[in-house]
Amino acid sequence: MTDHILSIILFAPFVGVVLLLFIPNEKPLLVRTVAVIAGLVPTLASFYLLYHYDSAAGGYQFTEQYVWSKDLGISFFLGVDGISIPLVLASSILLFTGVFISWHIEDRAKEFYAFLLILAAATIGVYVSLDLFFLYFFYEMSVLPMYVLLGIWGSHTKGYLEMADKQKRDSVGFIFNFGSNSKEYAAMKLTLFLSAGAVVALIAILIIYATSGLHTFNIVELQAHGHVPKHLHDILFLLIFFGFASIAPIWPLHSWSPVGHAAAPAAVSMLHAGVLMKLGHFSIIRVGYTLFPEATREWMPLAAILCIFSIVYGGLVAYFQRDTKYVIGYSSSSHMGYVFLGMASLNVISMTGAVLYMFAHALATGMLFAIAGYVYDQTHTRDIPSLGGLSAKMPFIAGIFIVAVAASFGLPLTVNFIGELMILVGSWNIYPVQTIIAVLGIGLTLAYLFRMMRGVFYGPMDPHYAHVHDASPFVDRLPLLVMAATSIYFGLFPSQFIHVIQAGVTPLIAAIEGAQQLSQIGGPF
Amino acid sequence: MPFTFTMTPADVELLMPEILMTGLLSVILFLDFLFPRIEKTTLAWLSIAGMGGIFVLLADYFIEDRHGTLFREMYIVDPMAIFFKAFILGTTILVFLASMDYLKKVPVFRGEYYFLGLLAALGMMLMASVNDLLSMFITLEFSTFSFYILVAYLRDDAQSNEAGLKYFILGVFAAGLLAFGISLLYGETGSILFTDFAKMHAHLTPGLIIGFLLIFVALGFKVGAVPFHAWVPDIYQGAPTPVTAFLSIAPKAATFAILLRIFMATVGDIKGDWVWLVVGISAISMTYGNIVAIAQKNIKRLLAYSGIAQIGNVLIGLAAASKMGGDSVLFYFLTYLFANVGAFAVVIIFSNLTNSDALEDYDGLSRRSPLLAFALLIFFLSLAGVPPLAGFIGKLYVFAAAMNEGLVALVVIGGINIVISMYYYLVVIKRVYINMPKENTPIPVSFPMRLVLFTTVGGVLFLGIYPKAFIEISVAATNLFGRMI
Repeated sequence: MTDHILSIILFAPFVGVVLLLFIPNEKPLLVRTVAVIAGLVPTLASFYLLYHYDSAAGGYQFTEQYVWSKDLGISFFLGVDGISIPLVLASSILLFTGVFISWHIEDRAKEFYAFLLILAAATIGVYVSLDLFFLYFFYEMSVLPMYVLLGIWGSHTKGYLEMADKQKRDSVGFIFNFGSNSKEYAAMKLTLFLSAGAVVALIAILIIYATSGLHTFNIVELQAHGHVPKHLHDILFLLIFFGFASIAPIWPLHSWSPVGHAAAPAAVSMLHAGVLMKLGHFSIIRVGYTLFPEATREWMPLAAILCIFSIVYGGLVAYFQRDTKYVIGYSSSSHMGYVFLGMASLNVISMTGAVLYMFAHALATGMLFAIAGYVYDQTHTRDIPSLGGLSAKMPFIAGIFIVAVAASFGLPLTVNFIGELMILVGSWNIYPVQTIIAVLGIGLTLAYLFRMMRGVFYGPMDPHYAHVHDASPFVDRLPLLVMAATSIYFGLFPSQFIHVIQAGVTPLIAAIEGAQQLSQIGGPF
Repeated sequence: MPFTFTMTPADVELLMPEILMTGLLSVILFLDFLFPRIEKTTLAWLSIAGMGGIFVLLADYFIEDRHGTLFREMYIVDPMAIFFKAFILGTTILVFLASMDYLKKVPVFRGEYYFLGLLAALGMMLMASVNDLLSMFITLEFSTFSFYILVAYLRDDAQSNEAGLKYFILGVFAAGLLAFGISLLYGETGSILFTDFAKMHAHLTPGLIIGFLLIFVALGFKVGAVPFHAWVPDIYQGAPTPVTAFLSIAPKAATFAILLRIFMATVGDIKGDWVWLVVGISAISMTYGNIVAIAQKNIKRLLAYSGIAQIGNVLIGLAAASKMGGDSVLFYFLTYLFANVGAFAVVIIFSNLTNSDALEDYDGLSRRSPLLAFALLIFFLSLAGVPPLAGFIGKLYVFAAAMNEGLVALVVIGGINIVISMYYYLVVIKRVYINMPKENTPIPVSFPMRLVLFTTVGGVLFLGIYPKAFIEISVAATNLFGRMI
């Protein structure tokens, strides 16, 4: 059983998809039950991973390997290390909670859950793949369900529906009818952006494959015995960095992301901001850091510069948004900058912090999106100025929102605090200027989240919204409580987490530092 | 040289699939002729059963690794030839299944349709075994001849007639170029055998260069690569849709059998002299096909331009000009077969009910027929190259082969084209899944059509998720041929 635990985590949602295909849409409860189970199994199994990973031994554990095509040198090779376990756990939790969050979807619910499960499973697939081919395979596979999920179950953004017909015609996109703020536009933009990024990374992967002299996509083997010519390392690292960073999304490749968040249904936004975006950071670490330590050393300072733009730009734009989901969307872009800062500092503390922060952000942003989705369901608007005073009507939701806000800006007791602190402590010696700006960025986070909290939950209430009601006892509350509880629990007891992550980070950093001693000191930065 | 005709039983055995095929099509013709009242679908099922039998025979030949040459090396049977023969039979079976409903629209000559289809298939099976210039010319014209008639099969439909005429005129023009190229090669070398050319890997004279170029142009016309693609959209649109499906895959595969033999086996050792040509044609085909496809408003034309782009992708494998490149071409055709025939099957089912191929009529298809919508989603995503579907593995395979030969620029162009193509495939998917339907009549799917859809969807998923067996077949198919390179 435990030998195949990664397969179970990965395939449970796929099995769910297959089962869903045979269930008619007229049985809504059965559809949801299947989806719940398909989300619960990986969640429990991921907790098992976290507590049974041997941090003392380190390295890739729970590995499974099957030859998939000998002629192409592809093996279906699964394994996790300290970096992937938190992300697998986050994906599973967000899938599980996302199923409940989308409980009230009526239109073609079966298809919705099928695509949601594919999305989450593909994301998990990236995190557990130790073969470049399958890493890419699942990466690309996670992008496409987004198109359908946004397109069918999403919502138009920035008042597209309120636009006059003439305005709509003016905003019509190239050749086909994509109004520039419609959900179709958001879906298409997201898919094309991410596919383009993926293709850039694919080219790098194929160059690695062709030049390593091993005829394999196996990351472990490539790391140990591959001899990709030295002069290609820099260009390959950059291709991988920018290919995958487009999903991360680093400034200036972020423009698809807020639109995509805003158009997506709540559960999809959760998965999207919570774990899909982390595919970028994770893949850069898994492929770039692992295979090209020297180039990492030389080029990550570039990320340290770009991430400041992400943090400040995202934060400022978030402050001026009227749409709740745009606020959270830009805030996610901004927070992903912190992860890049932690990654760029290249020491154990900041890297551990970065990985922990990815996990923490998944939960915090998951709660925020879930609540924004709930409020939208109730009031049919996301326009902050027209909302207000909802805390009287929905005290539970408002309470969880406060927890989510606290987690987002890193209040002590939440796991975000620990992650953020480790990032900042770790980078202080290396990038003091960036660290100071990042700390100021936390103030910005506070500003826009408080502004949103005040606008939505406090102040005078429009009598228009007198009919709204609080979250229903079980289905609506359970997912929020799960996320809030996990966030606080690991905020109080982070040690297991930190041990596991450090076991994954330490050898990477050691390799990169070793590479530095070999190469000449000094680079383009 | 005195001509002595000797054929041993072993030789006859090598020719057995074609002999049986000839028998089968004679039976179909005579049954139709002698029993005019016979149900035409019976003829179709009979042809399918016959071809199924021959398919099994070919599979047996493949497993036993039969090979040899006939008629003074003019005709070669090797695993690659057998692969393509089986491929063509498989395509023909799927196309016949997909034709049954459609033919109810045709008032007369419904029986002859199957006869002509079998005749075309026989011609293409022979093409797969071509090993010299003359049999190349004859088999190519043999198969194209049936297509001239099939394309113009809807006698009362102006578009179909126009398409037939266009195809005929351009086809004859290409045949002329081919004949001219052949005569130049023969004049320069005094031989017509591919194997002889392979031995003469000396210097290229202008005559040889022009000869090879002319042949390449003629074959480029058959596969519809840019800049020899002008016929493709009009003929795809005008021809009866099952014929379009047939035309979009089988002749291209058969022509690629010849292209592989000429480029890799015959002039493989002067690769440096011609690889830029294939690289260029491939890059232009992909880019042109994908960009022009964006503007299409008719699904058959969209598939036509997408087909041009797909041929560009196959040419990447040819440009790699390695054993792996050959494998990837074979594998790509397998992935393309399922996705493309499947997509055309959806078009056939849809147009049977609505008499329309306009893209805007596909609005809201998922509410009218979830099965068709899902199938179309799978096929289009496979054509776009999205995992876990067949097209992704096919694209990755040709890319990897080209990358191994250092063709980075071509792979980059191929990668950019994946993104471009995704746009127009997704636009159709948007129509199907997101837009609201104009009318709500459900779309019935008949039994043969269901068979086609399930086979093709199954094929696309299987090749995408667990292609090991098929990759091994592709690799084994080029084994003999790999030694020639």
